[in-house]
Amino acid sequence: MSSPIKSLTVKKFPSLLSGRQKKFKTGSTELPSGTDSARELARALHPDFQYLTVAEVIERAPDCKSFRLIPDSNRGTKKLAYFAAGKYLTVFENINGLQVTRAYSISSSPKDSLDGKYELTVKGVEGGAVSNYILINWTPGTEVKVSAPAGNFEYQPLRDAKTVIGLAGGSGITPFVSMANAVADGDEDFNLILIYGSRNEDSILFKDELDKIAAKTNKFKVVHVLSEPNNSDSDPGFEKGFITSELIKKYAPFDEPYSIFICGPQQMYNYLDNELKSLGLEKKYIRRETFGEVHNPASFSDYPSDVPDTVNVTVTICDETKTVSGSTSDTVMQILEKQGIAVPSRCRSGECGFCHSHLISGKVYIPENLDYRRMADKMYDCIHPCCAFPLTDIVINVPAAK
Amino acid sequence: MKQYDVIVIGAGNGGLTAAANCAKAGLSTLLLERHNIPGGSASSFVRGRFEFEPSLHELSGVGKEDEVGSVSNMFHKLGAKINWITENSTFRLVVPAKDGDKDAFINDDGVLVSVDARMPVGFENFAKKLDEIVPGSYEPAMKAFGLSTRMYEAFDALGEGDDFSGIFKALPYFPDLMRMTTHTLNEGLDALGMPKKAQDIFSTYWSYMGVPGAQFDFLYYLTVMHSYVMNGAGMPKYRSHELSLSIDKVIRDNGGEIWYNSEVTSVIMKDGKPAGVVVNGDKEIYAKQFICNASPDFVWSDLIGKKDAPEKQLRMSNARKTAASLTTVYLGMNKTKEELGIKDYSVFIANSANSDEQFAGSQNYDGNYCIINCLNHVIPDCTPPGTSMLFLTTITFDDVMKDVRPQDYKKYKNKVAKLMIEQCEKALNIKIQPYIEEIEIALPPTFSRYLNTPYGTPYGYRLEMWDSMIPRTIQFAQDQPYDNFIFCGASQERGDGYGCAYHSGEKAANIVIKSLSKEGK
Repeated sequence: MSSPIKSLTVKKFPSLLSGRQKKFKTGSTELPSGTDSARELARALHPDFQYLTVAEVIERAPDCKSFRLIPDSNRGTKKLAYFAAGKYLTVFENINGLQVTRAYSISSSPKDSLDGKYELTVKGVEGGAVSNYILINWTPGTEVKVSAPAGNFEYQPLRDAKTVIGLAGGSGITPFVSMANAVADGDEDFNLILIYGSRNEDSILFKDELDKIAAKTNKFKVVHVLSEPNNSDSDPGFEKGFITSELIKKYAPFDEPYSIFICGPQQMYNYLDNELKSLGLEKKYIRRETFGEVHNPASFSDYPSDVPDTVNVTVTICDETKTVSGSTSDTVMQILEKQGIAVPSRCRSGECGFCHSHLISGKVYIPENLDYRRMADKMYDCIHPCCAFPLTDIVINVPAAK
Repeated sequence: MKQYDVIVIGAGNGGLTAAANCAKAGLSTLLLERHNIPGGSASSFVRGRFEFEPSLHELSGVGKEDEVGSVSNMFHKLGAKINWITENSTFRLVVPAKDGDKDAFINDDGVLVSVDARMPVGFENFAKKLDEIVPGSYEPAMKAFGLSTRMYEAFDALGEGDDFSGIFKALPYFPDLMRMTTHTLNEGLDALGMPKKAQDIFSTYWSYMGVPGAQFDFLYYLTVMHSYVMNGAGMPKYRSHELSLSIDKVIRDNGGEIWYNSEVTSVIMKDGKPAGVVVNGDKEIYAKQFICNASPDFVWSDLIGKKDAPEKQLRMSNARKTAASLTTVYLGMNKTKEELGIKDYSVFIANSANSDEQFAGSQNYDGNYCIINCLNHVIPDCTPPGTSMLFLTTITFDDVMKDVRPQDYKKYKNKVAKLMIEQCEKALNIKIQPYIEEIEIALPPTFSRYLNTPYGTPYGYRLEMWDSMIPRTIQFAQDQPYDNFIFCGASQERGDGYGCAYHSGEKAANIVIKSLSKEGK
């Protein structure tokens, strides 16, 4: 067969192999630096952990405190990871020998992190083991371990409208405080109209701070909505009642699109689901922070009957296997943590997938609105233990805690 | 002290097939992965009501319904079941017209273009279409496919299956193979007499390997082109996460262990070679053999260090260039592809049709080059009704982000994404921005975080002429650092691509299996 590329010489071939070895010999014998601009940025933005110290405690309300956290260089954190306003930190705590985690939105400005300051704000909740522990035990000098900033609740200029209506309830205000600061600092470029529901004037968190930010920039405005106002709460700027669609319309721009960002307790989400329907917004303009753990699975309408009260969970983490028993009203993650077994966790709301694990046998219940698993996860029995409730004895493979 | 037969470092595509083949052969196998899921690039992520494909454009070697390809066969042999969907086009190249281009014309989309080439599957179809666009290119294109067909026959004739290691002995019988591997893609197409403009279209896939026409060896490019044009490409129905979890299952079903969130933080050396690894800084584990899917550069800098790294390996790392880095914008759209006006799966948009000029423009982000893919074209129901998903990709090299500070990163990312989106909007005369429901932007630091490679490259080392597939393959054994430690993944002989990485893992496993059976295991 004649060659169509006869004009190309074959003579270069013998030197190809020796040439490669010669070329290698020109390389230096230095150790590769192990560093480059992409790796440095990735490490600066996404450290595995950050080791911090409580520098200051600020009382926001009788049951709510803010904690100023600074890097602890003795334990290896020299700089804080920068973040987009709206992100949370997962706090790692050791309470009575148990490894537990909770996610808290950062309430400070992203710019403050350049000066070595994060602020987390924690509100006490009834039966909230971790929040109540933090409120009592975190004092100036307390050593704290947190994750890198995480989460998807942030402004995205290519996706969101130029104006965001923030709907906050109770301690759901925290990411918005960060966003308001970011807008005022020029770190973010959008208009934020914050509609903030509180019981009465005394229970408003960050009132002075929000007023100060609003005084600095015309891109931020706050509207307080009081559901149970005291007689003395007579500021004419206060709205009374709940955050309704009518109220949103009153403050929303009428001649251009707007996005709605929601952060608050579960009841508020349920209530707003109905209210927002009448606004007829496209799905892309409604975003919500997924917040907190789900308890009491039996309250879901599709929860099966005849579930035993307790089950055995056999868990393998790397080369260690243990069997523990726990309540079917706890998530698989809670059952393991209550037995002192540390498992990987970040958002604890089903969304981030950090606890991704293999269910080897047994059945679990996953509330449909928390099922953020990938399609192939469902085919291969992978679950997120933070929002999976055991229905039978189960055997599970969990990654190492990190 | 527990000792495994083999420890595999990293559950990227190469590490997965390495561990699966070792476990299937009955070796006690431990696969260690620093992330919580397998796959490296081959994964997926969920935002809102969309599940995005992070990296796979098209997988060649899937074959068609009646024909098994090399990649689908690899899964089949392992016993992994995949829901394959095949695509019946190759690519479309659109080059918006520059001022003064006398040959420019207005295409179906109403855009003034210098080139608009929508290329079909099948050698004959492809060559005919090319000839339609650039008269006189049918014969050269058919000759090119003739050459690539003979090269595949040559590889098969070597009798080593997928392993080309016997190739050296056979080379004198294949003078064209010697010609092709020592000449560039441009030189080869010139020799075939292909008109320049047709060469540009023919070279469109250069960015899949990251080497342009003046630097890419003719042989390797033709084999890549051959595999896409012959049968088209395939995609797993449930994103690449399906591929990775299917192999994960094969490993566990065959008695292998996978530890996630388990990062190898150093290698334990004994008598000048690896004896074990340290996991997450404190746990020592030992093995007879090691297969390493991690970046060689970082193995030396992070895991082994100057004292124990062979001098030759350091020289190799330093003499080679890091391959391309990628930037991808993932878009969940609240309109269907028809409503958006998207007509193709894969459109390459560039300011110049020429691969060398495209490469030259890839040294920074300036809206020169963007590939836009719409997965709904291949998998219509990959998003909920009334929606679609797009991903936009561009290519850069080395230190493109050296001046970007952490506090500037979000703005920088959005600036890059906007540039890419606008380039696509203009070139296709469509609107994207108003319909974005979900967006995620991955720049080299994102890839660095998930892949842990220099500049986040998914591609390994640059496949330059002196370091291309054939010399890498022939010198594979002497490239390995220790007799019980083999690299796999994109840094190895075939460079990047899922199929190449899967193959490299299989090959490493076969070497380990052979070597342990010699020991009388």
